[in-house]
Amino acid sequence: MSLGAKLGEALVCLRAGRVTLPYPAAPRPTPEGFRGRPIFDADRCIGCAGCANNCPAREILVVDLCQEVRILQYLGRRCTYCGRCAEVCPEQAITMSRDFETASPRISDLRQRLEIFMGACQRCGRCFPERSPLESLKLKGYRFDDIESERWVYRSAAFLDGHPLVEDVPIDLD
Amino acid sequence: MGPREILNGLRAAHGEGIQRADIPSDTRLYLFVDRGALPSICRTVFRDLDARYVISIGADDRPYSGSFMVAHDFAFDRDHVLCSILADVPAENPTVPSITPDVPAASWAEREIRDLVGIEPEGHRYLKRLVLPDGWPEGVHPLRKDFAWDTVPEDYDEDRPFRFDDPPEGCTVVPFGPFHPTLDEPAHFRLYVEGEMVRGCEYRGFMAHRGIEKLAESVLGYNDIPFMAERICGICGCVHSVAYCQAVESAVGIKPPPRAELIRTVMLEIERLHSHLLWVGLACHIVGFDTLFMQSFRIREPLMWIAERICGNRKTYGLCLVGGVRHDITPEIADELRGVLGTLTSEWRDVVKAVSRDRNIQSRTEGIGVADPALVKEMGIIGPVARAAGVAMDVRKDHPYAAYDRVHFRVITASGCDVWSRVLVRMEEVFESVGIIQQCLDHLEPGPLQSPLDDMLPVGRIGLSSVEAPRGESHHFLITGENNRPRRWRVRAPTYQNLQGVPSMIRDQRLADMTIALGSIDPCFSCTDRLETVEIATGKLQMWSPEEIATLASPAPGVSTQEVHCR
Repeated sequence: MSLGAKLGEALVCLRAGRVTLPYPAAPRPTPEGFRGRPIFDADRCIGCAGCANNCPAREILVVDLCQEVRILQYLGRRCTYCGRCAEVCPEQAITMSRDFETASPRISDLRQRLEIFMGACQRCGRCFPERSPLESLKLKGYRFDDIESERWVYRSAAFLDGHPLVEDVPIDLD
Repeated sequence: MGPREILNGLRAAHGEGIQRADIPSDTRLYLFVDRGALPSICRTVFRDLDARYVISIGADDRPYSGSFMVAHDFAFDRDHVLCSILADVPAENPTVPSITPDVPAASWAEREIRDLVGIEPEGHRYLKRLVLPDGWPEGVHPLRKDFAWDTVPEDYDEDRPFRFDDPPEGCTVVPFGPFHPTLDEPAHFRLYVEGEMVRGCEYRGFMAHRGIEKLAESVLGYNDIPFMAERICGICGCVHSVAYCQAVESAVGIKPPPRAELIRTVMLEIERLHSHLLWVGLACHIVGFDTLFMQSFRIREPLMWIAERICGNRKTYGLCLVGGVRHDITPEIADELRGVLGTLTSEWRDVVKAVSRDRNIQSRTEGIGVADPALVKEMGIIGPVARAAGVAMDVRKDHPYAAYDRVHFRVITASGCDVWSRVLVRMEEVFESVGIIQQCLDHLEPGPLQSPLDDMLPVGRIGLSSVEAPRGESHHFLITGENNRPRRWRVRAPTYQNLQGVPSMIRDQRLADMTIALGSIDPCFSCTDRLETVEIATGKLQMWSPEEIATLASPAPGVSTQEVHCR
């Protein structure tokens, strides 16, 4: 038994005082720049899918529901909050919030779904964002399936039904 | 001695066997050799030139060159050269002469190549499966390119029990793990005990496979991988992410801007600080001294907060991209960091002063888990375990990367070879890390954080990178590939080598000392297990007779003592 060493160790403990924080009884603020749950802003998103292309966890999916509606889904299942999506977004439509208390028995609580109205080029049929959703609605697409009657066919809708990527993954823990 | 001199020396001895060599810089040497010449060249490199064995890599190169490939990596620590010895292996006859009889440390790596790529190491004396579970079908090799990343073979029998080896006569088996209070991750040791003395053990690890390397080779892109690499390890994540980025940078010749290198260095040292404080705490916890466990963690906490302040998260920093970093250290954060380091230094000094005189800790750790310099050499042991055996190896000094060539620090060594020496080494290294961070903060000049990356990265280039993780050298081997992702990426975590030395560290010790002896290498099983597809592996530790141990300490050439399958 080395008394000096023991006294020294006791001193280390005594000097420390009480350090335990009252969390969760009192909230614990996170510092500026904290990478919490990403928040998607539908008003700013232009549907470029840069976030989906750069997500290391492949948790952002972009599907065209039809010519004029693009769906962006953030699933939040295995998101690592790395913040790459927010970093590459050209419109700052994604912000890393300070929200970290995201525990939930239902995984769909974390999901975010954006419906982005896209204008389609009358010539090439490719989508581009319109200035406002109202304007987008007025436009008509080019890729008619039934040209004679100029009937709009919602091509992608059939594909989407029951698609495992689009439907929420049923992970319910309760 | 530079890479050119090493090459000339090897040419003189093995002229025929060396097909060509590539010297992209003063610190790298790639030798392309005949597969038949591998053992003799590796023996010369390992024994005569006294290089340190790093890792062996197997790769399926058939879609590109029509053959398999095997590479053995060595490090010339005194000459600051990393060397890879590569050989083509024909697709129709995937066998390669084993180097394990000459280089015992290669035992695990060769068995892993056999499991995952299906290249048979001929002459390896113990070819039990290492990575793949017993129920995995024969002839299915997950790292081959014709094996899709999401495949589960139809005849995979998940429930097949392990085949365990019989304990030696007179010994009883004591299972240790996969769940044990002192193991934070799953690994299973079957300890053969005679009375209270451990006489040997059988190890089964690789229970935490997540298929990260396969994912990187088939799903992710170059700039996705740093974030996955970070998750190889919960403690030294930044190390893996930096090592990966440096491997790509070394392969394609990108130089990150100086400010990015300094920020990488700062974050790596913050990581080392928190890891060493955590380890000292855990070591105290293992020997039953929870007071110091609490205090270590208390002193460590402000470090986690400052990491969170710099990069938005206390542990997974998300710091690196190929060619630079994502987070800047502003002057305000630098001041905060200096403050944190000041407090830490004074508090840690008190702890070190008290602990280094504490007879209780000393008597629990002195003479325990001995790894002498001979074992360090044979098993390729690295990091604080090697330094505690008096071997002054430190990748930061031997193969400087990031900004380590611009800072001054000492390589801390001790001579006791035991757990107590490892405690002392780690406690002292904390002060060196603090010094490195302070120097980096002083050197920080305004500048870009990211090198421009405009073109596609060239294909088929080889990159090596070593980073000194808190627990030893992390080594990454990489071949660049098509589709914006590497063809092959091999991660060698420090525990991979250190764990192979554990059997001889715990041999003939009391059962109660097993926990701290194992804990003293700071084992990180998820790091070691990283790799491939599914889960579990088999592995066996051979019993060592005293004669074998003796021959191990002074290896006689050609003698089959290197039967030491020290897994």
